[in-house]
Order: sequence, then C-alpha cells, then structure tokens
Amino acid sequence: MATTNTALSNSVATAAAGEATDCETQKPLWEIRSEEQPYAFLSDSGNERQNRYGQAIDLLELSGLPAERSLYINENPAVGSNPHRNKQHGFFFTADNCIGCHACEAACAEKNETPPHLAFRSVGYIEGGSFPDYQRLNISMACNHCDDPVCLRGCPTAAYTKHAEYGAVLQDPDTCFGCGYCTWVCPYNAPQLDPIQGQVSKCNMCVDRLEVGLKPACVSACVGNALDFGVIENLPPNREQASASIPGFPDPQITRPNIRFQQTRVLPEEMRRPDAMPVKYHKDDKGRYRPLVDRRKQAHAGGPERRWNLARLSSRENPLVLFTLSSQAAIGAVALPLLGALLGVESLQQFQHSAAYLPLAIASLLLVGGGLLASTSHLGKPRRFYRGFNNLRHSPVSREGLGIAVFIAALALHILLSIPASGWARDLLGGTYGPAGAAIAAPAAAVCGVLAVAAGLAGLYYMNRCYRIKARPFWDHWQTGAGFGGNTLSLGALLSGSTIVATLAASGADYRQALSLAGALLVLGLALEAAGLAAHARAMASAEHEGAASHYMQQTAFGNTYLLRNGLLGLNLLLAAALLISGIDGAAALAGWTAVGLLLIATSVIGRALFYVLVIPTTMPGAFFWKNKGFEEHAREIGLADMPQVGVVGSR
Amino acid sequence: MLLGRKYRKPIVIPQKNVKQWKYTTCNYCSTGCAIEIGVDEAGKIVTSRGHAGADVNRGKLCIKGILEHELFDSPGRGSTPLLREKFHRPFKPVDWDRALDYSAARIRDIQARRGRDSFAVVSTGQLLTEEFYTLGKLVRGCIGTNNYDGNTTLCMASAVSGYKRSFGSDGPPGCYADFEHTDCLMAFGSNLPEQHPVIYWRLQETREKRRFPLIVVDPRVTMFAQFADIHLPLVPGTDCVLINAMLHVIFDEGLEDRAYLLAHTNNLNELETLVAEYDPKRAQKVCGIDEDTIRTVARLYAGAGAAMSIWTMGINQSTHGSDGVANINNLNLATGNIGKPGGTSLSITGQCNAMGTREWSSCSGLPGYRQLENAEHRNTVADFWGIDPEFLPKRRGLTQTDIFPAIETGEIKGLWLIATNPLTSMANQPRIRRAMEKLDLLIVQDVYEDVETNQFAHVYLPAAVWAEKEGCHTNTERRVNLTRNVLPPYADSKSDFWIFREMARRFDTNPGIRFAHTPEETFEEMKLLSRGAGRILDISGMSYDSIEAARGIQWPCSEAHAQAWRDDPGNLKGEPRLYTDGKFQTANGRANLIAVRFVNNNECPDTHYPFWLNSGRVVEHFHTRTRTGKIGNCNKFSPTPYMEINPDAAAELGVQHQQYVRLLSRRGDAVVMAQLTQRVPRDMVFIPFHFHDCVNRLTLGLLDPHSRQPAFKQCAVRLEAVDQREAARLNSERRAF
Repeated sequence: MATTNTALSNSVATAAAGEATDCETQKPLWEIRSEEQPYAFLSDSGNERQNRYGQAIDLLELSGLPAERSLYINENPAVGSNPHRNKQHGFFFTADNCIGCHACEAACAEKNETPPHLAFRSVGYIEGGSFPDYQRLNISMACNHCDDPVCLRGCPTAAYTKHAEYGAVLQDPDTCFGCGYCTWVCPYNAPQLDPIQGQVSKCNMCVDRLEVGLKPACVSACVGNALDFGVIENLPPNREQASASIPGFPDPQITRPNIRFQQTRVLPEEMRRPDAMPVKYHKDDKGRYRPLVDRRKQAHAGGPERRWNLARLSSRENPLVLFTLSSQAAIGAVALPLLGALLGVESLQQFQHSAAYLPLAIASLLLVGGGLLASTSHLGKPRRFYRGFNNLRHSPVSREGLGIAVFIAALALHILLSIPASGWARDLLGGTYGPAGAAIAAPAAAVCGVLAVAAGLAGLYYMNRCYRIKARPFWDHWQTGAGFGGNTLSLGALLSGSTIVATLAASGADYRQALSLAGALLVLGLALEAAGLAAHARAMASAEHEGAASHYMQQTAFGNTYLLRNGLLGLNLLLAAALLISGIDGAAALAGWTAVGLLLIATSVIGRALFYVLVIPTTMPGAFFWKNKGFEEHAREIGLADMPQVGVVGSR
Repeated sequence: MLLGRKYRKPIVIPQKNVKQWKYTTCNYCSTGCAIEIGVDEAGKIVTSRGHAGADVNRGKLCIKGILEHELFDSPGRGSTPLLREKFHRPFKPVDWDRALDYSAARIRDIQARRGRDSFAVVSTGQLLTEEFYTLGKLVRGCIGTNNYDGNTTLCMASAVSGYKRSFGSDGPPGCYADFEHTDCLMAFGSNLPEQHPVIYWRLQETREKRRFPLIVVDPRVTMFAQFADIHLPLVPGTDCVLINAMLHVIFDEGLEDRAYLLAHTNNLNELETLVAEYDPKRAQKVCGIDEDTIRTVARLYAGAGAAMSIWTMGINQSTHGSDGVANINNLNLATGNIGKPGGTSLSITGQCNAMGTREWSSCSGLPGYRQLENAEHRNTVADFWGIDPEFLPKRRGLTQTDIFPAIETGEIKGLWLIATNPLTSMANQPRIRRAMEKLDLLIVQDVYEDVETNQFAHVYLPAAVWAEKEGCHTNTERRVNLTRNVLPPYADSKSDFWIFREMARRFDTNPGIRFAHTPEETFEEMKLLSRGAGRILDISGMSYDSIEAARGIQWPCSEAHAQAWRDDPGNLKGEPRLYTDGKFQTANGRANLIAVRFVNNNECPDTHYPFWLNSGRVVEHFHTRTRTGKIGNCNKFSPTPYMEINPDAAAELGVQHQQYVRLLSRRGDAVVMAQLTQRVPRDMVFIPFHFHDCVNRLTLGLLDPHSRQPAFKQCAVRLEAVDQREAARLNSERRAF
C-alpha cells in the first residue's frame, strides 16, 4: 500500500504541476447560482473523529493518502476548495419531514440526465394504521457510500472506487460489463442496471457540487427539509436524532452505510409496503421494525392459494440456470473418473483407457463451455467478458470465473495430452506426438486433470460464495452450497456414470462396481440437496427477513411447482436408493436408472429456476407504480411499457 | 482511492455548458416560481434551475418545475394548423392564413345566422397576462360575444366570487410572508405538499424556526393532514357547518374582535343570528367533527395573535364553494384577521396565471377588475379601446360550465377553445362529449395536437408554449412575474399573442380598435388601464425590466411605488397585503359578512352508490397531463389512473391491491387500478383527476349558484368487479400518452 501511495502522490504532483499553466482557461467544476441560498451550502461544524462503527472519519488518516489530490471530474484537474473534502460524508434523512414530493428524484434525474427507467435516487414509502389514524413514511434513498461497499467488493470488473475524497463510492460505467452483480449485493437498490445501455450507473454524490462547497442536487432541491448532507455523524442544525436505521431500511450491519436518520414520530406497530413485495414491517419488543411476510399481498403472487406459474420460471436469469447446472455437471463428470482412477478404482482405470473417456471429457468441456457462453451472453456488454477477472482481490464472481476458466483450460490440455493414450485418437492423429511425447504425455495429462478438478472445485466454491449475499437472505443459507454440491455429485455421477457403465457393458467388462459407485454418489448428491432444502424451508418459514417472503411465494405463487419438485426429488431419492441397495443389473437397472436420470434433470432445472425467480432482496420499499415489480411486469404484459415515459423497460 | 483500484477511473458527470441563463416564471401552478433556463452556445436549452434570488421560491422548484424545460420538444406538439369540414373526417394541414380566414369567416357566419352570442370562447389560466388582455380585447371589442369564459371556472371561480361578495373585489389579500407572522394556520381542502410543494416549503421553513398550530381540514389523511397538529377529517361538503359552528363558539364565548367587526363590516346581526343555530352539539352530527374539537379549534383560532386561513379546491369545487370562501372570510373578519401580517384569507390558486386571467382577460367582466354591469367601467374601457360602449354587453354572459349546456340546447353553435381540454377536465364527460358532437365549428388552439379535445375540432391552431413566448404571470400572492422569450416557437406554431392579433385583423366590427405590436407594449397599455384613485389592481409602477430585477413585484404597485424605488433602488416591491387600512372595495368601504346557511344538495352515498367519490391532484402531474404525461421523469410516478380505497371496504368487495376495478355512477363508468390504503375512509374512494376517460366519466359536477363552479369532489359511486384482462386492455388503450 505504501509504495502505491507514493507512486500515486508523485503522479498527482506531476499532473498538478503540468496543469498549472492551464488553470486560467479551466472551467469551474460547478457554477454556483447567483444569490445562492444558505441551504445549498455545506455547513459542517462537528468534530467527531470516528464514526459509530469506530472507523476514522478523516479518510487521509485512514488511508495514508496525501491531501489536495484532484478527482479529475470530467478530466478537470481542479482541486476542490471544500475544507472537509477528505472526510467521509453522508446523507441525513429526516423521515419526520419527507412529503414524498419527488423533487429530489427530479433534481437528480435532471442533473445526471438519467432516462425515466433509471433513478440514482428513489422515493418509496410504507404505511400503517387505520383511517384517520393513518401514517405514511416516505423514504428517499440513493447510494449510501458505505464504509464497506459490497458493490465494490462484488464487482468483477473493478468498476467501483471508494475515494478518499468525501468517501464517495463512484462507479465507472465504461468499465462495467453489465453483469448486474452489484445490483444483487447492494441492499439499497443504489446501482442501476440499464438493460438498454447494458451497463450499470449510480449516484455520484454530486462530487462536482461538493468540490465547490455545495450540497448534492437532491438535497438542495428538497422542499420538505427532509434531506441533508454533510460530514458523517454531524447532526444538522435543528435535528435531535441521528439513528442508523428507520423502518423499511435494511440492517446497517451489512454495509455500514453512511446515512443517518431522524424518525421521532411514533408509527403504527405494523407498516406495509405499497409495492407487490409480500413484505411488511412489524415492531418488535425493542422498537425495531422487522420484515415479515405480508400474506395480504396477492396481485403479484397471484393469491394466497397454491399455483403453478410455470411460465414465470423462465426469467432474465435463464442463462445462469444453464451455466450453474452445466458447469456443476461437467466438473462432477470430469472429477469422478479422473479421481476414481487416481484412487485406484479398477473399473474407472479401465474406463480411462477406453475409447469413450475422451468423448466424455470433450462433452464435459463443451457443456461447461456452453454454459459459460450462455452466462456471458447474459452480460449487458458481452464483448467486455475478459474484464470479469479484474477484481480477483475482492470479487467472488471474478474468482468463480477464474476457477471455471482454469478448469476449461486445464481440461482442454488434459484432453490433448490424453490423446496418445487413446487408441482411436492416436490412430486418427497419426504420429503427431512421437514415442517420446507419448511418454511424457501421460503424466502431464494426469497433472492437468488434477489441476482441472482442483480449479473446478475452487470455481464451485466461489460460485457458492457469489450467492451467499446478505442482501438476499433467501440465498444466504447453506442450502445454496448443498444444492450446488449436491448437483455436482448427482449430475456429474449421472453424466459420467451412464457413460462409464455403458462403455464397460458394451465391452463386456464388469460394470457393477462403477454402477454402484456412480449410483452411490448420485444418491449422496440427491440426499445432500434434499437435506439442504429441508433445512432451508425450516429456516425460511421461521425467519424474520425477506427470505421468509420468498418462501411464502414459493408456497403460494409457485406452490404447485415447488411441491412437484420436492415430490419428484423425494421419489427420485427413494428410487435411486432402492436401485443401489438392491444391486440389480441388466434391463431392470437400465430402466430404473434412466428414470432416475430423467427425474434428476427435471428436478434440477425446476429447482434452479425457482432459486432465481424466488429471491427477494432486502431493497428499499417501492411505491405503487415506481419501483414496483408487480406493476413493471404488468406494464410489460399489457404493452404500457412500450411508451418510454411509463418508466418501465419494455420487453426487449 | 481508498478502496478499489491503483489507477484512477474517469469520473464522468454530465456537463451542461450553459452560455446564458434566461429568466422565466414557471408555467404550471400559481405558486409563481422563478426559473432560469440555461442555453448553450448554440442557443439550445440544456438545463434549468430555480432562481436563488427570487423571493417566492428562493431557488427551490417542485418536480414539475425542475423538469419543465424538457417539454418544448415533447411528443404531440402541433407543428402546423389543421383544418377539416367535419370532425369525423381526417385533418388537412393548411397555412395560417387559410386557417385564420376560415375560422373568422365561419365565426362571422354563425354569428350572422344565430346572433353574436351563438359563438363562445373558452380560454384558460395558462396564457400570459398580455395574451389574456389581447384575447379579451378581441372577444369583447371585435368578435363581440358575451359567452366568453376561462377554465378558471373549474378551479378559482368560487374564490373570485367569495372575495367579491365579502370584500367587493377579487384579489387574495395576503401573501406567503404571512407564514412568518402567523400564530395559527388553518388549511381547508388544501394539500400544499402535493399541490403547491414550494409554498409548503415556505411554510415548513417558518415551522422549523417557530412552531405554531397547523390545522388541516381534509376528508383524506394527506401528507399535510398527517403533519398537522390537528387534522379534521370532516364529512365531504360540510365545511360551512364546521365554520358556522366555529363562529358559534367564537360569538358565544365573546372571542370575536368586536371593535373590528363594528368598524369595518356590514351584516353583523345577520351573521350572529344565523350562527347561533349552529351549536357544535348539532353541527358535529353533520360535519363529523366532534363538538369538543370544534370548540378547541375555534378557541385556538380566535385566541391566536394572528391567524390565517388558506384553501384550495376542497372549498372551491363544491356546490357552495362561493359560500365556503365567504364563510372563511367571515371567520377572519370576525377574528380581525384581514390585512395584517399573519392574518389573512389566502386562496391558494391553481393555474400559473389564473390570477392574470381574473385580472385582465375580460372573461367575467372588463380588464382590471372592472364590471360589465357598471356603466362607468364600460365607458372607460370602450373609450380606451376606441369602441362604441353600446357594443359591450351590460351584464356578464355564460360561464364555461353553462356554455356546454347551451351547446347541448343549441343556443351555441361555435366554440373556440384556447389551452383547455374539456374532454378530460369537465365533469360529467358523457354529456360534454355529446355536446361537442353538436358544434358547427370548434376551433382548438393548443400547444399539443394530441390534446383529447382535438377529436372534435374543425380547426386546430398550434400554439407556442411558455418561454417560446414573452410576458407575465400573476401568482397567488398577487406577484406579477416575467417570462422572457428563450427560444422560437416549435415548428410552425405561433404565440397565442400573435394568433389573437391576426384573428383581430379579420374582424372590422369596431374600426377604431388598435392592438399593440408586442407583449411589452401591451403591458404598457394595461398599465394605463390600471391607474386610478382607490384602485387596488394597480400595476402602473411596474415595467418588464423592473419586474425581472425584483424577480416579481406584487400589486398594488403604483407610480408612487415606482418613485420610491428611484429613491431607494434596493427596495423594489409593491404592497404585500390588501385592506391593511380596513377599507374594502364595497360601496360603503366595509366588508360584507355573509350568513351562510348549509343546504345539503350533494349526491350523497346511498345503498345503490355507497361510496363518496373524491378527486384531486398528484404532484407529478399538471391538469390533464398533456405536458407532464410526456415527461417520463414526471409521468413514471403515476403513468395510469388509480383509485385509493380503504382496505376494509376492499376486503368486503373482494377487491385486491393493484387489481382493476370498474366504478359506476349515475353518469357513466370508469376503470381504474385499486390502491388499498387507510388514507381514505371506508365510504370514500379517491381518484386523481388528471387522466383522460377516467374520473370525469363519473362526476356529477353540480354547480355553485354564485360562481358556477362544479362540485367535482362530491358524488356517489359504486364498485364492480371487472375482467382483469379486459380492464388492462382498456387501460392501455386509453393511455395514448
């Protein structure tokens, strides 16, 4: 870090010296209005040294970076005059005062020129009580420029930077490749994925205004005197409370957001959301509002009764269903014969030397390659796919990608190096390798094979980490890992087991050992998945977070689909176990295991699709139209979304 | 770079590159916010901002104002005049001469056959004051029809009527600065945070410094009601009963300002006698506010050092809107709260220039608050214009709400609509639609070609909008403010000022009449008409340049005020309040107390139609959405109509959140999306009024006997289930924008 800092300070000094001559022609970072009012100017008086989490507010102290560095806003080398520019800043929201007038959102949209379907700041609300003892609480929310920016850590392209200036977390849309992972991890809906542009953009804290001593545009525009801004932990004048949370706001421990609230009005014990999310907030004995399932929400869920909703299983995340399942199957299928042979399982060694080994490896390669291609096509800007490895330091997405990429590369090498050992391929390619080559090819192939399996397993580990997101409690459970691991075992065993058994049977060899082994792994995989699902269902049913709402959707809107999957999974487990224990072979086994395989594929696809469509993030409450998933879906269905001023992106 | 990368990423924030800021006044509501429009080197509009030095808004704007500069090239703008013989045939584009020649010839023809008054003109509150004056001169002095009115009859007529009846003249006597002095504020049917956010901010600023009681009377729990110290959720249409009961308590307990009443008012006895009948014990059963609360509020209001009332459509849009305004005036006269800092009866107006049309358009009379019924006024104006005084009618003709029934009965055959959209805005749409079909000639002059009323037009005249023109607005607190011309009119559209002058050239009824060439010359002409001893509406001390320098000047502003500035250039202002000396514009200079007896003639809920239908605005839209419906960052917050309904009532009917419902009244039906909320009582639904083919298919719109303003907010409806797919199709078909 120290060397980096020195290098940086040097480069900044050089830049500053170089630009000194241009200063006369330089434009101001922001033009202050004539006769600007006091409310628009930053006015910090507090001297807190640490924030409530014990972190230094002075970011130079925290980072050891030098002062007076330019932010190069629009490549302008000017350094702002704001004396507190190296302190962590944050919004202050007086929920007591917000009238929900949208002035903040409009000012933000005007300044940042965002199209109607995007918003760096959004106002949603929750409401409770009964007429006339009714209260509505509006919440205006943008980026909270967190101490622990999960967006920055999650972004595989490293498009995010947390600056020592104001502690602003800024994102560069030109780096972003539109995977949308930051929109998954952010609990506040701050990063905005634009499906039209194929990239994310977000609140920039109006650093151009801050540099000249003005508050952000949204704050300056507020007509309820609800929004304010300043050095974090500074209480604005005339305010008496600086709470870290208000009802409807996600747990601040997830990211340590730089926002403080005043909410002194006593609210009804239960506050409901006007959007379609089946979530409400209930006051607990400590006075905190906890998310609970809102069983009255029906339009989006289609009613409290159980439904199929099979068509809705297909979603924007279809490529990820494909990618996760195919890579899990491929890694499992490669690992089983390879590790088995290494461990000295006789029938697997036999298989490794058979003509079918290479086709299985190639099929696995194509499977994972196809899945990866699908997941790349799911990016907003697929041609920027190579940026996926930019953030190995922080992002599980980068690490997952690297694991899978190394798996593919090592598997490809393994295939090439396995050619000399394979009768038909060697014959096909003639003497390409020569006898010496063939001699070293076998051990090298083994090394590559082991490497592929290791990389694949590492990739799977980070694939699991990708979904263990605090802002998505439905996923943040060991079931995710159990499901992924279970599918690796079951699908891998299915793919490789069927190939191995068929190969051995065709050559007249004894296939029973291989069948038992693959069958056992398949049963183990199914059991692991089933155990995870059972524990998950129990945990979600009693949870006090959005995961419970997801589970409610799982039991209602997708209730029949969910039951079918569970039933089939249980049946499959019993069937496979029975086949395994009975040890039958021949035509009965073929029929039995074929049924198991088909059931397995069906349950895996349904299960993974459910996994994606059911997740409810801990995002902020929306309004009746704006930021209401239910209305967005409806507007797309009936064609309203084709008018851009409806603010919903139509079906592409 | 605390976290993230070693090397800096570019920080790109849109830059506006403003070359010049041009001064304008917002063209939406009556708050009167000053906006600076930023144009770049190429003269293109790139941004806008509230003027930080303007006293009204002090740099703030609401959502509509912030995004207003996006409307100039929004879809649906009219680019060329259109003509057709029958409304069921397709339009053909024509040039301006053809369109205007045709219109003038047809107007003359209709008038020749059926009399001068068989052609009617309905304008708006959206034009510039100079345009209103020019239109008035054209209609009164050239075309010569007495059936001439503005759509302000739908919003401000009751306030005008009530002010005239109480004080002898229109003109809100207070100002926003009264918030800084008041000790008690009572809001009747006014939802400032949603309807006038910047006025709300002015109030909020003072409440942050100094707490004083805020009482909100509203049948819904609006944000304003929620933030009030006392919320009175009264039964719709019973505000007169509440105020009478308050007056009862005030007189009964001797809390009135008797000295003021005796010195400055007429009819004290009548008022005292009437309110004696309104004991809170009885009143509570009618207005739904318990007697203790009525007494508390009455004592609070009367006991405050200075107390003020504001109101908007909750009072005006009622069968006794004018009476309601008069009764609020009674309350303030009785407590001595007129013409003093913090003590006033302040009507919060609707449209940006509703005041301008009231003052100068000659709709309900003659320019400068003059009356047709007054011979002296007729002579003055006729002399000034160079026309025969006998050409002017001797009493006011039909109001907008009576013009449509007159089309129905065949008395009116031709209609010129200017910047108004009755096919969305008028109550009882089925009836309006049938009336429109009967017109021999309908001229629609509007910014937008897709304005719904254009379906029935024979001639469409594309008009310029806002800063494509130049001229003044008057706001709620009588502040005259300027819009400078920023850009040329869109395509081949023309300023309304130009259209009126061109139309005038085609009428030679009064050869002596002359029209000024520019809006500024027109303003100078109006100044000459505004002078005179004892006149409150005096703008003679203003000029375009001084208005811009002061960012708006309140009238009265006489030559004497202008002289005061010359002596002290920093002090550029008119009078903040009217009637500070207790002298009113009545015959004897005293204000009239008006005894208001409550008569319940509303269509109240019954077993067949069990719900009150209430309507109102949302902050992101203006009027019939012709502008805001096309600005995505406004429209997205309510792109389709919806209805607030109490969840308990909804549960009984099986209505679910975000499902479509069909509403029926005795007039027609509408389909809306249900929003379940406890904001409304169990026997009421609320629907925003902005949407075409929606709430006004249901409304009754009984007329106030004095102001002829319709009661939009009180009628009865029932709810029925509707096939969701059918309803969705209908909803998207009805939203052309």
